[in-house]
Amino acid sequence: MYHDVHIENGVHTTLNLCQEHALEAGINLGQIELSIILNVDTPVSETQQVITCQDCGMTIAQYKETSLLGCPTCYETFSEQLKHVIANVQDNRTQHVGRAPATASTDVNRHLIVRRLLRELEHAVTQEQYEEAAVLRDELRKIHEGGSIHEN
Amino acid sequence: MKIDPVANCPFNNENPPCGDVVLSSRARLARNLEGFPFVHRSTTPDCKEVTSLVHQICEGDDTRVTLEWVDLDELDTLTTEVCVERHLVSSALANATHPRAIAIGPELSRSVMVNEEDHIRIQSIRPGVQLEEVLQDVQALDLRIEEVIAYAFDEQLGFLTACPTNVGTGARFSVMLHLPGLRIIKDLQRVQNACEGMSLAIRGYQGEGSKVTADLFQVSNQVTLGYTQEQLCSILANDFLPRVIEWERRARITLHQTQTSKLEDQTFRSLGLLQNARLLSLKEAMQSLGNIRLGICMGIIEDIGIETINQLFIEIHPSHIKWKYGTDLEDEQISTFRSELIREKLRK
Repeated sequence: MYHDVHIENGVHTTLNLCQEHALEAGINLGQIELSIILNVDTPVSETQQVITCQDCGMTIAQYKETSLLGCPTCYETFSEQLKHVIANVQDNRTQHVGRAPATASTDVNRHLIVRRLLRELEHAVTQEQYEEAAVLRDELRKIHEGGSIHEN
Repeated sequence: MKIDPVANCPFNNENPPCGDVVLSSRARLARNLEGFPFVHRSTTPDCKEVTSLVHQICEGDDTRVTLEWVDLDELDTLTTEVCVERHLVSSALANATHPRAIAIGPELSRSVMVNEEDHIRIQSIRPGVQLEEVLQDVQALDLRIEEVIAYAFDEQLGFLTACPTNVGTGARFSVMLHLPGLRIIKDLQRVQNACEGMSLAIRGYQGEGSKVTADLFQVSNQVTLGYTQEQLCSILANDFLPRVIEWERRARITLHQTQTSKLEDQTFRSLGLLQNARLLSLKEAMQSLGNIRLGICMGIIEDIGIETINQLFIEIHPSHIKWKYGTDLEDEQISTFRSELIREKLRK
């Protein structure tokens, strides 16, 4: 897209042209995409489809901007893309060795589980998966009533 | 919160191990809470929730992990900046606007930053070569936090962090080195090569992106995955440090044998400058202190202790000057008070 605002004697003229028309108008847009001149549709490959993290809404493009992931689930969501990134920054090491965290106290786990269930409930409602939503609601109710927690 | 820079200098104690070459050792662990977005994607309520969960670590009576909780929003700007200059708080955390906190140990060498790039950054700094000790410090805090917090963890990738460069152990070990000898004999490349061979990063005094000042260098592990915390600590402590310390000491001996006059001249010029100047920039003061430090280590100056110089490296930074002499100082006044402080400390 070519966008230009021209001001002469206090008069604003705005020009918006797509790449093709900008070329026709003789405006230099820098590097030229041959597919535009040749009118070839570039097929959208699978990898170009936008993958979004279901937990935080992060996309891989956003990750590339900041080099920071959005949440722990992003590691799973973008595992394919991150495989190379991690191998690159971690000297080709890809497997954790050493200690794993101990299980935290029930109170905090309870807090985190409620949070996760609420997120899943919201997702299920958005997707109109009402049966799933009902199960999640019952689970939440059980926790609020002081029932046991079965973490998967 | 009370900070006493005289009593609590991260670079100082009585004769720190290998203190002639190594100013300090530091360990840092990055951790995140399961079920929360990472800090840069968190909402204000998320950040508040994380701080309130982590706050629990300050409760209880375990003396190994005694920490004082400080909400950074409630801490005045100057004290926050003093903490940054003492490496207790990162600039990123100090300058952020979201809810965040630090939990600090009474000796001001251990701290837990809350809602930095990761939800939790545990760190410990000690003078000289004390990498195993700082590892134990952070491990004790890590275990304490684990009792109340569920960490984001993956069997394959280990502790999950906002940036993949920290994933795995989340552990970063670093040492602050004083390498004037190797700089003068133009042999710093050797250190650079050793770092490359061991996947270590070498940086300036302030860490990432900072310039080298006073011949002070920070060296840390680049890789955090595929090694245990102990192994990462050992690469720096047992594979890298003994060699570099040896190289620097040998370089100093060579200098002493071949360039005595030049070295004495450099030392006394720097001392003369610092004992007489009335306006001192941070850069000039740091470089001169570095030269004097070398002179002390080589026996050229005998009536000034190395700990005085180590302490000044921190105390001459702008916020420390403001903290001591007055909060509303202009740049030139800071330079004046800096020179006054140094003259006072280096008085014969």
